Amino acid sequence: MNVSFNELQSLSWKAFVGMGFSDGQASDAADMLCWMESYGLGGLKALNDALQQYSLEHPYAPPEIVYKDTDVTVLDANNVSVLACSHLPLELAFTQARARGLSVLKLKRCRQRQLIMGYLARLAGRGMNVTAFWRNSQQPLTEQVVGFRANSSVPSIRIYAVSELPEENKENTGITVILANHVDLLPTMRSEYQYDLLARHDEADLLELRSQAEKAGISVESALWEQLREFAKLTLVASTSTSRLGAGPGD
Amino acid sequence: MINDPATSLAPVLRPAATVMDLLRLGSLSSSRLSFSRSLIRKMGRQRWQIFQTRFDLDEHGYGEVIYRIQTPYARYHVVIFSRELDDAHRSDRVIADAWDLTFGLVEGDVEDTLMASLSENVPLQEAGRQHAKLLVISRANRSVRNFSAFVDQLSQGKQPEVALLHSAGYLYRTTAVYGNGKFGIADFSKLKENPDFRTPFSAQMLAVYVLRQFSIDQVEHIAAHRRGAPISLSTALKRYVGIGNSTGLGMAPFLINHPLLINQWVHMRETALALAKQQIPDEASQQRLLELMARASASLAECTIEDSEQNSRNEQVVLELDSVQAWLSQVPAEEDLWIQLTDWADAALSLETQELINTLLIELYPDYVDVLEDSMATEETMDLSPDMPLVQLKQLIETHMDWTLSDELQSTDGRYWFWYRSIEKEEPRLGIRGVDEGEEKELALAIGPRVQRVHCAIEAHLAEDPRALTIDYLMANPRESDIVRRIQTMAGSAYGEIRANLWHRDMKPMHLLRAKLSFLGAQRFDPRGDRWVRVTFFQGAPLLSELNAEPADLNDFDDWSFALSSGTVAEPPRTP
Repeated sequence: MNVSFNELQSLSWKAFVGMGFSDGQASDAADMLCWMESYGLGGLKALNDALQQYSLEHPYAPPEIVYKDTDVTVLDANNVSVLACSHLPLELAFTQARARGLSVLKLKRCRQRQLIMGYLARLAGRGMNVTAFWRNSQQPLTEQVVGFRANSSVPSIRIYAVSELPEENKENTGITVILANHVDLLPTMRSEYQYDLLARHDEADLLELRSQAEKAGISVESALWEQLREFAKLTLVASTSTSRLGAGPGD
Repeated sequence: MINDPATSLAPVLRPAATVMDLLRLGSLSSSRLSFSRSLIRKMGRQRWQIFQTRFDLDEHGYGEVIYRIQTPYARYHVVIFSRELDDAHRSDRVIADAWDLTFGLVEGDVEDTLMASLSENVPLQEAGRQHAKLLVISRANRSVRNFSAFVDQLSQGKQPEVALLHSAGYLYRTTAVYGNGKFGIADFSKLKENPDFRTPFSAQMLAVYVLRQFSIDQVEHIAAHRRGAPISLSTALKRYVGIGNSTGLGMAPFLINHPLLINQWVHMRETALALAKQQIPDEASQQRLLELMARASASLAECTIEDSEQNSRNEQVVLELDSVQAWLSQVPAEEDLWIQLTDWADAALSLETQELINTLLIELYPDYVDVLEDSMATEETMDLSPDMPLVQLKQLIETHMDWTLSDELQSTDGRYWFWYRSIEKEEPRLGIRGVDEGEEKELALAIGPRVQRVHCAIEAHLAEDPRALTIDYLMANPRESDIVRRIQTMAGSAYGEIRANLWHRDMKPMHLLRAKLSFLGAQRFDPRGDRWVRVTFFQGAPLLSELNAEPADLNDFDDWSFALSSGTVAEPPRTP
């Protein structure tokens, strides 16, 4: 089925609130999702994965700070989606980069990491250069780097497979974000390493993708939409003849 | 006389504490900056053409009708489905699932496949999956009394009694007008580059305006069938037919959830008022104000309003305007006449009269005011400033949101209501705290109590860490990120926050509804209790035939506020 961006924004916000997110967290998560979809970057697929892994019996716990100094912060996200755990740590890193010129944020054990691009775009729009790195899979080893120039909400993206596996190849479900106040951090591939470039998106490609996505609208699987509606229903109150009076007489 | 804008002093705007008081917002009248007014002006100026391209109605008026709208930039269509409705199913509430008619505004042409999709889905409204070429969908119910009487009298060859329109100034009333991506229709973002509908709610207003013509065409069609010969309403009567709207609590969350947009609307209105008050009156502008007052007064006097409280307010306005006219007709046009007038109104007259006078002052200076209509939209992004010292955040609250700190939240009355959405079509409702079900799912619409709570928490945090930053506070209180972001953003916008405790037992949601409806261009506020209101749009507005005739005098074309059933302007007292 086709839906509008406003519908996706509105329903996902309600669904996130139904899942226990705070209003602000839900708003940020819905924005991240819509940003991904607006550039045709598969936000709904990532959301679907997140919903499959979510249980109302075990709502998301906030990330725990493992290490923090004035330039570096490391958090353990406890295997929750970046939709739920990334916005305030990123704001913390933003604050540190403002004060110190550069900061590093490491979010360990988090899921649907590509969705973080939606929030990085917001930080870049506020004048911050941002680069994020994560590994999509260990075998084959694929890595993804996303870079935003300050004041641009459109990233450069590189996804590549590394041919030679390092000896130490433990599963890495973390994400590393570097923020710099004054220096561009856009990804440029080095040629002396063997790799296969799987995807390369620059600003112009993504703007074209955005234009296409706007024209085409958003196509969403009915099952996923229904799941969002079910979560959203958790924010609604059962109706009774008494509660109907709460809206006034009406006619 | 109009001052040269180049030499004008910057206008002095009224303080937010005055303007954003809920009682005052609940006393606003629509003005020439309201969206219905600016749409009509634009259509006249740009020579829009609107005409029927399909009129397939049976003798009872059921069937499908299409109107084409041609602007200098594009073509649109309003598609209307009129279906029989059992009287027992006629309800204005959002929980209704059938209406006398449903309609939509379509971008571009309506080819057969699109028409089939519209026919299947538009009548279902929220329950349908709407097409992305739709910019607006809506539905309307008949004013059963007016519709029947109009058809009966017209079919007998008589012009219907105009008095019918004194108690309800319409044949149909809409019960919801949806835009911005609702149920699959086009997002408002798609319209931001569209020169026809960049102004907020202009697409909705166009759909409603065309529906008004349909209501006239349909009545004439049914009457002609009954009579066996064509028959028309008089032009004066057609002009006096508006379109009703029935609005409930569903409108209230919009005002709270769009503070930057509300700020923009109010800011433009206040700028218009300040510019008007800054002008030096002359005899012509003084006489024009007297004419407008006489018309507004007569328009209010001839309305029959069911709600006794609103009726009393209207009667008071009429009485007070009598005094003002008597004074204004005798005083010389001194340089500070408008200031004298508004100072007197502020000191001695009711809120409703004050704001009506302000509306009429704005009306006097189209050369200054009308340009502001292009600035009614705004970006609505709220950003966090995480590196703001927490003590500065506290200071922002105490400086810009001090009104939240005086709310009495501990008493039963101070925290009486809670807002929630019902599972029935997500209808917003009010529940009594501690009595009604659903408190744990409360909507965070009461900004004042939230800000007060954050202020207390910040004080506690600062006691422990006086040099803390905002992000330090938020890492410890992650559920407050949205309200902190709002406080930081709105500190730079004077008019976004409505200054009232929306939990308080004495809070009247009606005032919220009226505030928004006045910006849309609603007239004749007729409350049904404190949570429901019926209003009229486009009463007195030019007809499609007048628009299509390409009016030569655009000022006259635009001069339709405060409609009178006589179709003429009441005679004002003369200046000496």
